Amino acid sequence: MPTEAPTVVRVPSPLRSYTAGAAQVRAHGTTIAALLADLERRHAGMRFRIIDEQDRIRPHIRIFINHAEVTTLQQPLAAGDEVHLICALSGG
Amino acid sequence: MTLNASERDRYSRHLLLPEIGLAGQERLKAAHVLVIGAGGLGSPASLYLAAAGVGTLGIVDHDRVELSNLQRQLLFDTASVGAGKAPAARARLQALNPDIDVVAHALQLDASNALDLLGRYDLVVDGSDRLATRYLVNDACVLLRRPLVSAAIHRFEGQAMTYVPDGGPCYRCLFPHSAEGMVANCAEAGVLGVLPGMLGALQATEAIKLILGIGAPLVGRLLTYDALAMQWREFRFARRADCAVCGAQPTIRSLQPGAANLAPERLRARLAHPDPDAAAPAVVDVREPREFALSHLAGAVNIPLGELPQRLSELPPDRPLVFVCRSGGRSRAACDIAVGAGRRDIMNLEGGMLAWARHVDPALEIAPYP
Repeated sequence: MPTEAPTVVRVPSPLRSYTAGAAQVRAHGTTIAALLADLERRHAGMRFRIIDEQDRIRPHIRIFINHAEVTTLQQPLAAGDEVHLICALSGG
Repeated sequence: MTLNASERDRYSRHLLLPEIGLAGQERLKAAHVLVIGAGGLGSPASLYLAAAGVGTLGIVDHDRVELSNLQRQLLFDTASVGAGKAPAARARLQALNPDIDVVAHALQLDASNALDLLGRYDLVVDGSDRLATRYLVNDACVLLRRPLVSAAIHRFEGQAMTYVPDGGPCYRCLFPHSAEGMVANCAEAGVLGVLPGMLGALQATEAIKLILGIGAPLVGRLLTYDALAMQWREFRFARRADCAVCGAQPTIRSLQPGAANLAPERLRARLAHPDPDAAAPAVVDVREPREFALSHLAGAVNIPLGELPQRLSELPPDRPLVFVCRSGGRSRAACDIAVGAGRRDIMNLEGGMLAWARHVDPALEIAPYP
């Protein structure tokens, strides 16, 4: 059982079908990879929308820790960090 | 002095601002701005640009006004339903400001006309509603060295960024390539009517700032808006050294027609009932050999993605190509490689073999990713 406080994860509207409409969820993990694994446990199917089969962030999704872009799934998370999932939008 | 008395009256509130003044208003009058799309975003953006006195304002849209547009596309009214959007927009904008020149471009923007059209303008505002158009406009602006103010919306959310040549990152630096089919547009997902009003006005603000050379534009900054939470957030992103269009060694040096997505049912139909007047598509499976060995489409050839750049000469030169992989990701990358090599008539099997199994052949066993 993880002892660290869960990280706030902001969910873009194209992915909220996995979170029952919630714009914000919480998940555990000391790295982005671990956080995404915990997200998958809580919201089945969500990880595959974010990460492809070669463990790369999908090209239409960006991940930010606070306001800085994540470049590797091994990027560590610190207490109090917020993770933002950003999805390319297409409407005009 | 190039402003007449009527213009000085019309723009008097701008002239009072030290950051604008007479010189700034004359810069606006001399500017040529192209707005892509006369829709939710293009409506407020073009209205504010016209009101601000942008001297030449181009509007690109090939569609006709529909009743469902009026919930958010403020350029039009009930009497406009059925009219061409570009000419209707021109009439509305010209009525707002007869002192400017509004040019209606009633055409579908594509790889064959984008460079010529965008090249006639100083700055582009993208209010399109398709990802493919966004990438086309981005690539054209990078190639032409034109600033671009880009925005997009979905349900209750919006996002915006600004590209300037030799400055910050472009749209591909943020989202390297299209994931058409994975991101819904307004017709598919719905949208709060007032939402594009916020983002379109923001686009006009950015355009005006760039013309005047004032303030801090959204370069290297993605601004997001959540209307439900009433929250704006900003995220910083950097120019990518490996960006396909603005990077150190760009692979996109001209505009090419992109690859289309092909649904499994349509591929089945094309393979089962080939058009007697056209060449049958060649199916190229870019999975690893052991994935291909378990199951593959009849007649497919196997060229693993990693080997494709060296084996492009093996692709039949005179047939449409359909790239296939397990779920559509690797095959999308294969499409980009083929398009980049100058091949035309390229298609990506949407959703890959998993989608084929779901919609066409449920008995098919698909190998897991190796």
